[in-house]
Amino acid sequence: MEKIIEILFNGLSMGAIYALMALGFVLIFKSTGVINFAQGELAMVGAFICYSFATMMNVPYIYAFFIALIGGLILGAVVYQVFFRTMVGEPLFSTIMVTVGLASILTCLAGLIWGHDVYSLNSPFTDKVIHLDKITFAQGSISTIIVSIVLFVIVILFFNRSLLGISMRGSAEDPDTAGLMGINVKKIHMVAWALGGLVAAVAGMFLAEQSFVRLAMSNVGLKAMAAAILGGMESISGAIVGGIIIGVVEGLAANYLSGMSLGNFHMGDIKDVAAFVIMIIVLMIRPHGIFGKEKVERV
Amino acid sequence: MANFKVNYREDTALFQNLWVKSWLVIFIVTMLVLPFLLSRYQLSILDEMGIAVIGALGLNLLIGYTGQISLGHGAFVAIGAYTSGLLAGTLGVPFIISLPLSGMTAALLSLIVGVPSLRLKGLYLALGTLAFGFIIEYILFHWDLTRGDTGMAVPKIGTEGFFIETERQFFYLIMFFAAVATLVAKNLARTKIGRSFVAIRDRDIAAEAMGISLSKYKIMAFAVAAFYAGVAGSLMAYYQKWIVPGNFDITLSIAYIAMIVLGGMGTVLGSILGAILITGIPHAIVYLTDALRGTYPNLSNLIVDLKLGIFGLVIVLTLLLEPQGLVGIYRRIKVYWKTWPFKY
Repeated sequence: MEKIIEILFNGLSMGAIYALMALGFVLIFKSTGVINFAQGELAMVGAFICYSFATMMNVPYIYAFFIALIGGLILGAVVYQVFFRTMVGEPLFSTIMVTVGLASILTCLAGLIWGHDVYSLNSPFTDKVIHLDKITFAQGSISTIIVSIVLFVIVILFFNRSLLGISMRGSAEDPDTAGLMGINVKKIHMVAWALGGLVAAVAGMFLAEQSFVRLAMSNVGLKAMAAAILGGMESISGAIVGGIIIGVVEGLAANYLSGMSLGNFHMGDIKDVAAFVIMIIVLMIRPHGIFGKEKVERV
Repeated sequence: MANFKVNYREDTALFQNLWVKSWLVIFIVTMLVLPFLLSRYQLSILDEMGIAVIGALGLNLLIGYTGQISLGHGAFVAIGAYTSGLLAGTLGVPFIISLPLSGMTAALLSLIVGVPSLRLKGLYLALGTLAFGFIIEYILFHWDLTRGDTGMAVPKIGTEGFFIETERQFFYLIMFFAAVATLVAKNLARTKIGRSFVAIRDRDIAAEAMGISLSKYKIMAFAVAAFYAGVAGSLMAYYQKWIVPGNFDITLSIAYIAMIVLGGMGTVLGSILGAILITGIPHAIVYLTDALRGTYPNLSNLIVDLKLGIFGLVIVLTLLLEPQGLVGIYRRIKVYWKTWPFKY
């Protein structure tokens, strides 16, 4: 019983990270209509910036955290200015492929700057746990979950209450009409990319805290995309649910399935593909995700 | 140099006039003579290019002609390679049977993504195919049959007495299949099937309204693309003689996409040009780093990083600056010279 609560709790904190990442996708997709395959790479760069300041230069962690946030913000804005300012209205394939290319470029640059080694990030929560009646909770996981919940509340309020958030939704719905209504669509798009970069950096740092800082951590971006798809790409609550589902299923798979073997097939690190298997199954049943709305197409 | 056609036979001819035919003859003769002029290393680059051409043609039929995004082309190459490896290595099946079987297995497994593609569009399909690629890679790593990380050996082509093993023999073999693949693709694009593909790409609902069966042609597009990839994978397995799952990761899928984007989507010529250039780029980098080793000794360690980054840069720059790819540039130059000195 204790074990399963621990697994579920760890799954939940992993799920919060996926949900944060998925939130980044949804933010960018909702306002610009671009599906950003480089979200994981943005997160990786955020984590590496934090690592550079916190561990290599001995800046206090909280400052490093905020420096990385600003780094993510600027990176997102720069990516928009360089790659996507001229891509408005291009076909879907082109925008997807530009983000895929961007992901390769970011991985290449990070590899050149920080190398292929595995680093660990020292945060105030590292290796600290809370015991609660035989059950152990890692402080890092708790802080991840709390910060994610706060961020989600802020984002939901932002999209429903603030003028900027509403104009973002408007320019996603119909960029041309939004422009006619006096919304500066290009500025809105840049803000969306900057926010996407910021959310990615937060997710990257939490992820680094739970595991390591390394190039391969960008794979989490793809799993988070699976989470966003599960939830239906356009809904923030969908991203949260999708992220939690994937986090928990991964936790369960890692604990109960990875030792098993079917005939001469060893499960091994099945946790790494569990997200994709779930995603393919969900897509077969509901092609627009759990919360997604089916679009009516006109010829 | 007007190009008038006076009957239907001329209009439907694959090689339209004497110019094209004479260039073709020159090209074929060059290809036949080339192995005797080039070094083994240069021939090995050409062999790689030939295999890449086959894979890229398949992907272009799927993405460029049918408009179905696939980020998992590398997985089908892997399926082809491992089918050949298993058939030839454990069962001793000869090359002439294992090659088509590899293509067929890949085509059969393409139904796993082809059938959902009837309901999935755009980004959902992109992610589905990407996930498929990861799952295949995972299976290859964890199945005893494929021997995971250690990889498996692929026997030589041929029976007792005659083996295809030298670089020169492989060159002829690969170029033969590349030529066949090109001809098939070129002809397929002109038939009802190819035109249906294009109609689906341009507007699938309209295509369906015109009486094109979406399910039939979408599944066919996936199967054809996978067949091409399977054949490319089979050739790759025989050529490399040793296959490991790491050869077929996401980088390979991205490289194939870079090929068709750079070359020009929806054109056969584009797939060939793109395959040649994208395969050539890493070798050019190696050549450059060798030349610069004196001044920057660390450079050769960075090749792996640089390769992926340069593929990414190629995709991004092509899409931003010349969405039609190299074929677009070629067409512009052709029109410019045809009408010179007039503007149009």
